[in-house]
Order: sequence, then C-alpha cells, then structure tokens
Amino acid sequence: MAEAMSDSAHWDAEASRARRNHFISRVVIYGLLLIFAAIYLLPLAVVVMNSFRSLPEIAEHGLIAFPRSFEFDAWFDAWNSFCLNGACEGMRGNFYNSLWMTIPATIISTMLGALNGYILSKWRFKGSEILFTCMLLGVFMPGQVALMPWATILGSVGLSNSTAGLVLVHVIQGISFTTLFCRNYFVAIPDDLIKAARIDGAGFWRIFYKIILPLSPPILIVTVIWQFTGIWNEFLFGVVFTSGREQPITAALFALAGNQTNVREYDVMSAGVLIAALPPLLIYFFGGKYFVRGLTAGAIK
Amino acid sequence: MKFAKTSIAALLAATALAGTASAEPKVLMLHQWATGSDAASIAKLGEMFEAAGGTWEQTAIAGHTSNTLAKLRADVLGGNAPAAVQLKGPEIAEWNETGMTANLDELAAAEGWDDLVAPELLPVMKPAGNWVAAPMNIHRINWIWGSTPAMEAAGVAELPKTWAEFNAACDMAIEAGKICLAHMSADWSDATTFETVVYGQDIDLYRKAFMEADLDALRSPEMIAAFDQMRLMVDNYMDDAIAGRDYDTASNMMANGEALFFIMGDWQIGVLTAAGFEYGTDYTCAQSPTDWAEPGFILNADSVVFFEQSDPDYVEGQKLLASTILSPEFQTVFNISKGSIPARLDVDLSSGFNPCQEIAQADLAASIEAGTLVRSMAHNMTVLQKYRGAMMEIITEFVNSDMSSEEAANLMADEVEAQM
Amino acid sequence: MSIADHPSEAGPGWRERFSRLLPFLVLAPSLAASFLYVFVFTGWTLYISLSDSSLLPSYGWVGLENYADLWASRRWNVAYRNLFLFSAFYVLGSIAIGLALAVLIDQRIRGEAAWRTIFLYPLAVSFIVTGTVWGWLYNPTAGIEFLVRGLGWENFEFALTTSRDYAIYAIVITGIWQSSGFAMALFLAGLRSVDQDLIKAAQIDGASPFRIYRRVVLPGIAPIFIAVAVIMLQFAIKTFDLVIALTNGGPGTSTTFPAIYVYDLMFQRGQIAQGAAAAIMMLVALAVVLVPYTLWLVWRRRMEADNG
Repeated sequence: MAEAMSDSAHWDAEASRARRNHFISRVVIYGLLLIFAAIYLLPLAVVVMNSFRSLPEIAEHGLIAFPRSFEFDAWFDAWNSFCLNGACEGMRGNFYNSLWMTIPATIISTMLGALNGYILSKWRFKGSEILFTCMLLGVFMPGQVALMPWATILGSVGLSNSTAGLVLVHVIQGISFTTLFCRNYFVAIPDDLIKAARIDGAGFWRIFYKIILPLSPPILIVTVIWQFTGIWNEFLFGVVFTSGREQPITAALFALAGNQTNVREYDVMSAGVLIAALPPLLIYFFGGKYFVRGLTAGAIK
Repeated sequence: MKFAKTSIAALLAATALAGTASAEPKVLMLHQWATGSDAASIAKLGEMFEAAGGTWEQTAIAGHTSNTLAKLRADVLGGNAPAAVQLKGPEIAEWNETGMTANLDELAAAEGWDDLVAPELLPVMKPAGNWVAAPMNIHRINWIWGSTPAMEAAGVAELPKTWAEFNAACDMAIEAGKICLAHMSADWSDATTFETVVYGQDIDLYRKAFMEADLDALRSPEMIAAFDQMRLMVDNYMDDAIAGRDYDTASNMMANGEALFFIMGDWQIGVLTAAGFEYGTDYTCAQSPTDWAEPGFILNADSVVFFEQSDPDYVEGQKLLASTILSPEFQTVFNISKGSIPARLDVDLSSGFNPCQEIAQADLAASIEAGTLVRSMAHNMTVLQKYRGAMMEIITEFVNSDMSSEEAANLMADEVEAQM
Repeated sequence: MSIADHPSEAGPGWRERFSRLLPFLVLAPSLAASFLYVFVFTGWTLYISLSDSSLLPSYGWVGLENYADLWASRRWNVAYRNLFLFSAFYVLGSIAIGLALAVLIDQRIRGEAAWRTIFLYPLAVSFIVTGTVWGWLYNPTAGIEFLVRGLGWENFEFALTTSRDYAIYAIVITGIWQSSGFAMALFLAGLRSVDQDLIKAAQIDGASPFRIYRRVVLPGIAPIFIAVAVIMLQFAIKTFDLVIALTNGGPGTSTTFPAIYVYDLMFQRGQIAQGAAAAIMMLVALAVVLVPYTLWLVWRRRMEADNG
C-alpha cells in the first residue's frame, strides 16, 4: 500500500513537472514568436498608420507613432490626384497598366511552365536533362545584363515601348522559373498513371488535360503567386520599356518615394505604398498555404 | 499589332507624300522631372506647346539620371529615339557623335538664336557647329544664402566676400551657439560646395582641374589647400548629421535661422519661395566667397536635345517645341518658378522675378566681361561623366570620412586617370 | 524510363514520328527563347566587355583592358568587398532565422496559418517599398532612434544608414527581414517531411527534444540547408533595388554593390564596355556558387539512384 502510494506520488510529481515544463516551453515558444512577429509587422504597421495621419502630425511626432489624427485624404490623393508624369490623376492609371501587364504575363508563363515541366518530366528524350539545366540558368541572370539586348530585340520586332513587349520579356524570363517548379512537381506523379493512359490510347495532349492538369493546382498556385509578385514588383524593365501613360505602378512608386528635392509627403507615400503592395499581399494572404506546400515540392530538388 | 502598324505606316507615308504642310506637330519628351515643382514647370511647357497647336506627350522617369539614360539607350537601341530628351553638358556632345541628333540650324537661323543665347552656352548646344539642343535656362551655382535673423544674432553684418571672411563669420556663429553652414551630404551637393571652394580660391585651378580634367592640377598643392578649407568646413562649421539628411531639411535649417549659411545653386530660390520665405526678411543672397575681387559665375543649364525622327509629325513637333522653349514667354514663366534666369539674354527680369535672379543676370553679364565665367562640374556641364563620377565619388568620400587632403587630391587624380 | 519508350501502337510511319517529335516541338519555342535569353545575351555581354563600347555598343576589340580598368577602380573593389560581406551575413542570417521560425512553428502551435502569413508577407513587397519604409525606420530624426529617445533613452543610437561603417548592416538587417520568410517556408516543409518513425524511435529512447533536433531532424534536412543557401546567395549577388531604395550606395560610396556599379557604368556614365566587364564578373560570382551546387546535385542523384 505504501509502495503504491509513493509510486503514485512519484508519478504525480513527475506528471506535474512534465506539465510545468510543457507550460514553460509553450510560453517560450509563443513569446519568441510574438517578438519576431512584432519585428516583422512593424514596417507594415508604420505604413498603415502613416497613411491615415496628417502630414503636420507626422512632422511633429515622428514616423513611428500612434495616429492622433485620422484622415482618408492621403488615400484619395495617392489614387486620384497625385501629380505624376504631367497629369494629376494619381496612381490609378499606373495600377491598371500593371494589371494589364502582369496578368497576361503570369498566365502565359505559368501555362508554358506547366507544359514544359510536363514534357521534361514525362517525355524525356535524349539530352532533355541537359536542356533542362540550360533552361534553369535563366533563373540566375541579373537584370542589367539583359536590358540592352532586349531593347535591340524588341525594337527589331516592332514591340518597343509597348505593354506587349514588356509581357514578352517577362514571359521569356519567367519560363525558367515556372518550368523548374512544374517539372520538379510533376516528377512525383507516378509514371504508371501515364503508361496506363497511353495503353488506353491517350496521346500527348489528352494526358496533359486529363491527368497532369487536374493534379497540378498546388504547383500552379505557387507559380502564379511567384510570377505575379515578381512581375508586379519589377522596376527596371517596367520603367524602361514603357512610356508616358503606360508606365507601371513601380514607376509611380519610385517617383513618390524617391523624391529628393521637394517636401516629402509621407502620408501620401504611405497610402501609395499600400495601394501598390495590395495585390501581391492579397495573393499571399489567400494563397499562403499552397505556397508553402508547393514551394517545397518544387524548389528543393 | 503588326497589321495595325503597317497600315498606320502606309497612312503616314501617304500623308508625307501629300506634303509636310499637313503634318500635325507632336512630340514625346523624355525627362526626369517627375514630381513637385519641376513637374509643374514642365507641365507649363506642355501647355504652351498645345496652345501653339501641338500634341504633347511626355515620359517622366523619377530617381537618378541613370534611369532616364537607361530608357534613352533602350529606346535608341530599339530604333525609336524619343523626339526630345532632357540632356545637358558633355552628354549632348557625346550623343551628337552618334549621329542620331536632329539638326535645327534652319530654325535657329530663322529665329536668330546665335545672337539671343548666352555665348557660353553656344558650344554646348552646338557641339559640332550646328544646333542640336535648345537651352531652357541658366542656373547659377555659386550662391551663398544667409539667414537674416541668424546672422543678426551672431553679429555677422553681411554675407562674407572671401573665404577668410567666411571662416571668421563662422567662428562668430559658433560662439553665438549657431550652426554656421547648413548642408546635406549627397554626391552632388558635396561636389557643389567643393567646386565653389575651388572656384573661389583659384579660378585657374578650377579651369584646369574641373573643366579639363588635368591630372597635375588635381594633384596640386592648390587642390590640397582647397580640400583643407573643405575639411575645416565639414569638421567645424557643419553639424554632425549631414549624411542622409534630405534637401528640404537642410534648406529649412538656414531658412528658419538654425544655421547662418547655405551654399547651393539658384533653384534654392524656388524652394524658398514655395515654402513661403521672403527675400530680405528671411534670407539674403550673394555670390559665394571668392578670394579674387570680381564678379564670378558658375553656370549650369538645363536643355532639351532633339533626336532625328522619320515621322514628319515628330519633325514638325520638334521645331515647334524648340521654338516654344526659346520663346520669351516660356523663358519667363519657366524661370520664375525655377529660380534660374532665362537662357535668352533679352528678357526683362523686373516683373515677377526674385531680386536674387536680377542680381544673377547682372552678374552674368559682368562675369562674361571680366572673363570669369565657367561651367559647373558638379552639375555635369564640363567633363565627361566617367571623370565627373570619379571626382564626385572622392569628394563625397572625403566629406564622409577623415581622409586627409593630400590623400583626397591624389586619389581623385588616380581615379580620373584610371578612366583615361 | 519514360513514356516515350513505350509507343502505344504501331501506326503509319510519319504519324508515329510526328507524335514522337511533338513533345520536342512544343518545348522548342521555350527552349529557343531560354537559350537566347541565357546564352546569346551572356555572349553578347561578354563580347561587349572586350570591346571599345562607350555610349552605344560598338565592336572594336580591346581585349582585357576593360577588366584591368575595372579592378583598378576603387569603387569596384569596395563593391566586391561589400558583396562578400553582405552575402555572408545575409545568407547565414536568413538561414538562422528561417530555421528558428520554422522550428518554432513546427511545435504544433495554434493559428499556424496566421503566423506563417506574418513571416511570409515581406516576400510580397517590392524591394523599393522595403527600402523606403525601412529607410524611415532608420531615419535618426523621425524613426526608431527618435522614438526610443522620446521614450527616455537619450543616448540610444540606431542611425545605421547614415554611418559609413554600419550602413551595410542596415542593408543586411532589411534583407534578412525580407527573405527569411522564404527560408522559413522551405525549412518548414522540410521539417514536416522528416520520417516520423525515426523521431518516435528517438523519443522512446528518451532523447530530449533538443537532442532529437540535433541528431535526427537537422541532419535529415541537410539538403534543404544547401538549397536555401544557394537561393539566398543568388539573391544576394543580384542585390540592386534594395540598396538603391535604402542608401543609394551611400554614405559616400560605402554601400555600393556590383549590380549598382554595373548599372551606373552602363547608363549613368556611358561606359558600356566596362559595365559589361563588371556584369561578367557578377556572372562569374554566380557561377562559382552554382556550378559546384549543380555538380553536387547530380552526384547526389546518382548516389540515390545507386542506392535504389
């Protein structure tokens, strides 16, 4: 009896120690996460708050402070009336320009990536591995190297200074990434599935539509997220290969933020920054789960 | 797209055959004045252009000149150079050598530009002897601005005329507890201040070193002495937070009376007026200190270069734009808001212009007479970019470190030499 | 073994051959485009770097003169040195923080989706925005330093971007903020793919969580370390937008980077040939990182194939 009692007491002591350790470790984990989260969220919080504060208030209390005033003027200014490129129409024109450029480029490069990934993983022929590695190199090319050659090429096909030309540039540069992601993902699709379909008489295209595509939403989402973000946020090519009213939103952003000789309108800048960042942020917000899932399948190999 | 382009091309060809009299002038201007008062000034140009019957289009690229030049290069390589580009100084000559610039001699002769435009600008606008660019204004770099209340508080009676007077005034300012010289450190502003020092100490040194990139001049004891004066200013007369400060903060330091002086070009007038400060009550202006007692002028000019076009509409548009730029109306309106003076010598400055601008115009004429007129290195009017870049890098490094004067002079010469 | 090895039926000769060629034909345009993009552009850049181009490309041969000029330039040496410094801190920092975050999130915490989004969102933001906003934070008169001093710590200093010696660390910190979410995502999935049986066996043996991580989990995801390092490194080598927005290469030229110098040489200074030489040196740096990695990947794949 005494033994059983001391056993259960021993057991209780151990259990409570384990519970305490568990509690402490939970506190540590959540604590660390909170600290990191605060650092990560600080810039976003600052920008959001500043977009609602009035300029005199920012001048007085600095850039990092809780809003003492709350106005929507900065948002209207940035979207509708900020003077840029000779017109005082805000960023909205540039916003639409970016949409017109980014959406087609994303869709086309993703589709091509899926197709290429399918071919390179399921229809291997002699030398396809080497060709794949060569295509892969495109991922690592720095932008400045490509600027002048692209300018020459676009000029010779008559597409310079046009959104279509810019879409072409982004598609070709994006193919390396999208092919890499898709190919690594499709490799995991069992070959037997495909063989069975071929025995049933399915050809190249039918296998693609009936087997590959239905299985590919995770990687397609990753690719779309990656491409959309990259193309939307790209500054150099966007600015150099368009003119006047067709400039993308990064040009407007740079004009807002890079002001060296005039008074800095921090409130309008903040609103502008948020407007420009909104589409990619929304996409990450809704697609984040798939992003992690697909990334690992695509990028690690 | 291609079909549309072919039909438009055919249409244009037909129109061209019908005679250029039916051409509709239009222009596309590439420049870097994307925001603020600069953009407003260009907007005025657009308005005047449209009022004269043209169709106005522009691409404004913010940020560093590199971005605008990247776009220009891309456009040129792509076969459609823009009709008008904001370029200045030695770049005009460089692009002229590519053979792609347009020739405006006919228009120039008709409107008499050779007599109307300041003589120092002629070799810049006509690098090979024929007109390829139209000057928009003349900026004066060598100004010193003084805050009236601050100077009073420090007991400084008037703006210093020589560098010795400047140093003495600064010592008095420090005793009165004020910052003597407001400054913001960026490569162009450090170079601006430094070139006024060099110019003020020794005009021949300035000519040899900054206009001809003479290596011996860059290494000379005189240059070391100029760096010594700069070191004195940076360490004793400026405050500690110059790196990373932005322009309007520095300007406000002088305008609000925190600092006594500010050395900056005449666009400062535009900034001060826009911020509501008044000449006399809040600030005064004078030529930056010179150790030789004559009127001096460091010149900078904004200009528009024209690239050869095949489309007759653009050709007509270029002529119209050049004509508009050099018209007295534009020269007046543009320069009032910018703070510079017209590139045309015959514009009357008495209505609407700031007293400092009138002084500038008078000093320009006097400086031409006295033979002391030079062009600005810091603002890209003299040596090629590759030399200027090297010089400015060393100057700004000097300001932001404790490099010795001797080291700076030698480094500057070495770096320029490496580009030769 | 690929499907191409198992033709479905014996049919007419040309149709058979066409369907065999079809995949290659579909791939061909992308292949051609990629080849153009990678090899032709690089080749052109290489040729220009050996030419006398200045304002516009020209094709007179000058040999290695541009490279000599480049390496004699003080600013290039500063840029290259900055690149090494930045890359080392940026890669190691991103790995460390990414791993730490992944391990924390892996502890079966609640609201994982929310935490993940918080750490991933910086990836969605353009470098220009990041540089601008962090520039505000670093601003001594209105940013963090101002805030903390206002709270009472009079001597607090955080003006990294205005200090010649420490500006590069401002860029490192901001870079890590932007990219460690990506490292975290990769590590997280890697952690999840570790064989659970191995972990359970170690737990039964009484190993502490710490030791389980050290002995079982981390070695299991070793390939991911390398993948993350390579991806981060190539981001680091191409660093451009971030520095432009944060310090523009300043104060002075203390935070200049190769990509910025390439851009300046090619466009601001009209020295295309030297700019091309600098670009080739950037590609060399990239190759130094990527070639060993690719070889290692191939070697590893062959090992795995041998081991069945």
